[in-house]
Amino acid sequence: MTRREFLQTGVAGVGVLPAECQTRRPDYSLTIEPYALEVFPRRVIRTVAYNSQIPGPLLRFEEGRMVTIHVTNRTGNSEVVHWHGLFLPSDVDGAMEEGTPAIPPEAKARYTFTPQPAGFRWYHTHTFAGRDLNKGQYSGQHGFLWIEPRENPGRYDAEAFLALHDWRGQLLMSDDGSMNPSYDVSTINGRTLGFGEPLRVKQGQRLLIHLLNSSATDCHWIALAGHQFEVIALDGNPITAPCSVPMLSLAPAERVSAVVLLNNPGVWVLGEVRKHIRAAGMGIVIEYAGWGGAPRWYQPEALLWSYQRFESRNPSAPDAESATPVPLVFKSKFNGHGDLDHWTINGKSFPRTETIEIIQGQRYRLQFRNESIDHHPVHLHRHVFELRRIAGRSTRGVFKDTVLVNSNTQVDVEFTASQAGLTLFHCHQQDHMDAGFMMLFRNV
Amino acid sequence: MHRGGMRLPPRLWMVIGLAAFLCSLPVRAQGNYEIQVYGADTVPPGSTMIELHSNFTALGQRNEIQGVFPTYHQEHETLEITQGINDWFEIGFYVFTSEQAAHGVQWVGDHIRPRVRAPTSWHWPVGVSLSTEIGYQRAVYSLDTWTWEIRPIIDKAIDRWYFAFNPALERTWHGPDVGQGLAFAPAAKVSYDVTKQVSGGIEYYADYGAFAQFDSFHQQQQQFFAVTDLNVSPKWEINFGVGIGVTGSTDHLIVKGILGRHFTWRKSSPVE
Repeated sequence: MTRREFLQTGVAGVGVLPAECQTRRPDYSLTIEPYALEVFPRRVIRTVAYNSQIPGPLLRFEEGRMVTIHVTNRTGNSEVVHWHGLFLPSDVDGAMEEGTPAIPPEAKARYTFTPQPAGFRWYHTHTFAGRDLNKGQYSGQHGFLWIEPRENPGRYDAEAFLALHDWRGQLLMSDDGSMNPSYDVSTINGRTLGFGEPLRVKQGQRLLIHLLNSSATDCHWIALAGHQFEVIALDGNPITAPCSVPMLSLAPAERVSAVVLLNNPGVWVLGEVRKHIRAAGMGIVIEYAGWGGAPRWYQPEALLWSYQRFESRNPSAPDAESATPVPLVFKSKFNGHGDLDHWTINGKSFPRTETIEIIQGQRYRLQFRNESIDHHPVHLHRHVFELRRIAGRSTRGVFKDTVLVNSNTQVDVEFTASQAGLTLFHCHQQDHMDAGFMMLFRNV
Repeated sequence: MHRGGMRLPPRLWMVIGLAAFLCSLPVRAQGNYEIQVYGADTVPPGSTMIELHSNFTALGQRNEIQGVFPTYHQEHETLEITQGINDWFEIGFYVFTSEQAAHGVQWVGDHIRPRVRAPTSWHWPVGVSLSTEIGYQRAVYSLDTWTWEIRPIIDKAIDRWYFAFNPALERTWHGPDVGQGLAFAPAAKVSYDVTKQVSGGIEYYADYGAFAQFDSFHQQQQQFFAVTDLNVSPKWEINFGVGIGVTGSTDHLIVKGILGRHFTWRKSSPVE
C-alpha cells in the first residue's frame, strides 16, 4: 500500500465538524481554485492557489483567540489545508494521515481552532502529488500565518512576508542515479526577479522580513546585497541570542524572521545566492525611497549557514537524560534510474511504518540518523522541538518544527508530547513523503 | 537399442548448428569502431567526455575483399572526445585505429559529430537529440571513404527499464555506395536496472541497405549484443557487451567495451 492508496481508502471524506463550528461566522474564507500565475510577462503557470493569489492571503490571528476559516474546494481533487506549526487537534491539523477529513471536490469545510503558539507559521496543502509536479506542494497552495504575539521579539518599522517557490518541475535523472524534481522557474511571492513591484523602503528603517521556503523539494540560500540579516526567529520561534548573518538558508517548510537595518541607500537585489536559481527568477528588488537605476548584487562565493549559530548559552529546557530516546533511521530504496527512490524510516515505508506510542507530558529525544545521500527537512506536526545535537555537537536553545538533516549525519531533537491523538512526522520534500517517508506518533 | 542413423540429443544439434553458423564467412566487410546506442543526453557545457571504445572481432571476414583488410581478429581502438558547448549542444571527435596480426597498428580515420538535443525546459515526455557525423576512413578498411550520417535519438527511462532508439540514415560521399543514396541503419537498446550500479540489456544494430530498396536479408547487417552497464559514478561510463551477427554480411562474434571518463573544467563552486 502506498501513501496514495492509504489516503484513498482511509480517512478521506466530508469533514464532520462540531455543531458550534457549523454556525460560527468565519474569520477568513479560503477558496482553492485553479489559477494562472504570470511569473514574468507572458509567461503563465497554470496552478492551484488560495483566493486566486500567490502566496495566499496573509492570515493574522491573535494567539489564544478561537478562529474559524471557511474553505471551499473548487478543484477536481480532494484537498486539505494544513496549519503548519500550530498546536492543533489532529482532526483540524490538516493531515489526512492524522485523521483530518479531506475536502472533496466542490465541497466546503470549516476549520475552527485556537491558534498557538505565537509567531510566523504558514498554511499549505497536504495531499499526494506523486509524479504530477503540478499538484500538492508543487502547486501554489501556500500562504502566511501570523499569530500575533503578546510581545514582538524585534523592534521594527516595516514588515514584509516573502515566500520562495519553485515552478514547472520535471523529473530528471540526477547525479545520485535516480529521478529528482528539477525546476525551470523560481520566484519570490510568485514573481521572478525584476517582474512586479519592488519592495520600497526608507533609509534608517528596520525592516522585519518573514521568509518562508514553500518549495516542494529545494533548499534555498538568500542574501540581500549590501546588507546583513539579524535573525530573531526560526520557524516562528524566537531565538534567545539574535545574531547577524550574511545570508539565510531555508529548507522546504522552514521559516526565518530577520531584521534588516536599512543603512545602505540604493537599489538592491534580495535573491538566491546560487546563480542558476537567481537566473531562474528567485529574487526581488529592494528600492530605497529616492533611489533608482539598475539593482545591484554582490555575489557571495560560499554558502554559509549553521543552526548552531543561534544556540543559547542559557538553556531552560530539561536535560537530555530525562528524555526517552527514539532512534529513527532514514534510508532510500533504489527503484530504477527512471523512478523516484522509495524511502524508509527504521526499514519501513509509510503506511507500514511503526506507529510509536508516546505519553502525554513526557519528553522524547528523536534521534534522526540519515543514512542516505539526500538531505531531509523533517517536520513534526503539532509540536515544537528543540535541537539538541547536530553532527556530533551538542546544542541548546533553538526551537523549530522542521529541521534539515544533512546526508549521512545525525540530528537529535527533543519535544514534550503535548497533543492528544495522532501526530504525523515526515520529510517535507513532497517527493519523499509521497514515497514513504512518513510515520505517526500516537499520544496515549 | 536404436538402429539406423545416428540420433543426437536436440541440445547437441543446437550447438552444432550455432558453431556452423558462426564459422560461415561474412560476404561484406563491416566497420565496428564505435558500437554504441546513443542516449539523448548531451555532455554538459564546460565539460568533456573522453571515451575509449575497444572492439575485438572474434569471428569475422577472413579474406581480403577488393583490397579491404579482413575483419577477423581485428582489434579496434577508438578514441572519442566530446565537448559540451551549452546545455543543448555538443561536438564529438573520433580517432579510429585498428590492430591486426598481419598489419600492426593502423590509423583508420577520423569523424566529427555535432549533436543537438531538445532542452529539458521543453518538458518533452522522451529525450530527443539529433546528431550528424561526417568523416573519412582509409580505403583498406572501408571502400566508402567519405561518409555522412544523421542520427535521430530518442530515449526514455521508465522505472527500472531504459529504452533508446536511433533510426540513423547514412550516406556515402566517396566510394562504391555513392549511388546507393540514403541507407537505413537503426540501432536500439533495452536495458533493466538490476541494481543501482548494474544494468543489463540487449543492443541491436542493423544496416538494411538503401532506404529506397532494402538489401536482401543475407546482405543486411544484423547484430545483437548482450550488454551490461556499470553505473559506479556519474564521472564514469562503463559498458561491456558480446554480440553476434545473424546474417552473412555481419561479423559473427564481437566483444566490445566502452570506458568513459567525464571531466569538468569549470571551477567547482557551491554558488554556480
